[in-house]
Amino acid sequence: MSERLRESLSAVMDGEANELELERVLSRIESDEQLRQTWVRYSAVRSVNEGAHIAHLSMDVSQGVRAALAQETATDGAKVNNAAQRFLKPLASFAVAASVAATVVIGGQQLYQIGDTTPYGNTIAGSSAVGLINTAGATAVQASYGTQSMPVLQPTVRTAYRELARQRMQKYMQEHVEQAALNSPQGMIPFSRIQKIEE
Amino acid sequence: MKVLSSKVGIRWAVSLASLLCVNHASAASCPDVNHEALAWLDKMSHSAHEVSYQGVVTFQLGDDMQVMQISHSVNNTGASESLTQLTGQGARVTRVDHPLDCIHPGHKLLRLSEEVSLAEKPAGTAGPKDCGISGHYQFSVLEGERIAGRKAVRIVIQPRDMYRYGYVMELDKKTGLLLKERTIGRGDKVLERFQFANISYTNESIPTDSVDVVHHASHPAPQGHANVGSSAEHYPAALWDPGWLPKGFMSTEDASGGDRRRTYTDGLAVFSVFLEILPRDIQAGEGVVRHGGTTSYTRGMRMGGKPALITIIGEVPVNTARMVADSVRWVE
Repeated sequence: MSERLRESLSAVMDGEANELELERVLSRIESDEQLRQTWVRYSAVRSVNEGAHIAHLSMDVSQGVRAALAQETATDGAKVNNAAQRFLKPLASFAVAASVAATVVIGGQQLYQIGDTTPYGNTIAGSSAVGLINTAGATAVQASYGTQSMPVLQPTVRTAYRELARQRMQKYMQEHVEQAALNSPQGMIPFSRIQKIEE
Repeated sequence: MKVLSSKVGIRWAVSLASLLCVNHASAASCPDVNHEALAWLDKMSHSAHEVSYQGVVTFQLGDDMQVMQISHSVNNTGASESLTQLTGQGARVTRVDHPLDCIHPGHKLLRLSEEVSLAEKPAGTAGPKDCGISGHYQFSVLEGERIAGRKAVRIVIQPRDMYRYGYVMELDKKTGLLLKERTIGRGDKVLERFQFANISYTNESIPTDSVDVVHHASHPAPQGHANVGSSAEHYPAALWDPGWLPKGFMSTEDASGGDRRRTYTDGLAVFSVFLEILPRDIQAGEGVVRHGGTTSYTRGMRMGGKPALITIIGEVPVNTARMVADSVRWVE
């Protein structure tokens, strides 16, 4: 996979792709196995589901996305009929549509299996494997305790991961800043990024 | 005699060829190199180490505003510096006797760019392997503002790809010191900014008045020092690394096997990768939190059959963090 293609894919996944970038990805995805796998992997992570479910990668992603886009534009007032007109459509809304479509197509048909039978049934919040500390503000985290035998609600896992990212930022910031202070033009200033400096 | 002359002949041919290659490569693959900006970056890097100054700095990260006192003094044993927080925790960070000839990779990249520009001159000998920092950012030099009473030159730095942020720097026209910096994200959004409110170029030692917390900044040793406890201890001693990095990023330290952190810099941006091998599986997923220009990206996944948590902390966009995390693997 070329650097350029990788960049386009990343933009598509972030909902920041312009039409050219989206076209670049769609035109290759049928023939490029590596691109397809990377796309599915990114999407798997985004939909916060276990990646082990994605066994069959033969699904035609681009067809699905095109179909979803067609539907999107059709409900948009059916005013987009040809390529020239499509180009006039504001890129921002197009990018959003593409991102949504990608999530819907892959997440919806392939991955969204939350009544799940994976060996990894634990929610990250219910498990102390990552040392996630339950804070007073994160009620959604608390709500997920003891849900091992029940379907995991996606927003809960998402909230738990966000909370985990916040706690890891606190935990690792000082170690990162020690390096940043020596390797960026800002000198000592990055130390003020640390919430609580440890001696 | 015959052997000698043929050797000389070969050497001539080789050096001529390499000279031609250099000119060809720099003309073809390094267009749009702003030599004036590179000279300023070089000066900035030198002044950060070699100039004595002290002043008050404001640092705005999103809604959060911090004020700190910075002091940097140089004598014949090296540079000593300190940062004292005037808001918040009120802690002080010090670094004493940092040798002047100890140049870390991030600063080498800023100075290397000067070498690249020299090498492009026809008389240059060693050819540049790549375009250095000019390959990853586009620079322009403008008239700057007045910052803390000093006239400044403005360097506008735009990333050439989507893996890093842009910067607007204001450097002291006389000393080259970085007086103000804005970090620019997508859509020209200012993610954070710092600037000197006042500055004086005097050589004063680190203040000795008492503060509650004094931290002595670490200096990377060949072996990383583990100072974070809890669940992160049980990683195997095998080597790991990100299989992919954005172009132009290099390691800030000599790699040490088994370490649970890797840090990379392109000269302007820095990010660190942390690996935790978990005692049991977690649901795969990702989480993102941002503070100012810093992204914290955490990703739960399986790595070579082991449940792992990979965290990227650094001043890079989320897509960069996600792609680096995606590429982390064991190295045989």
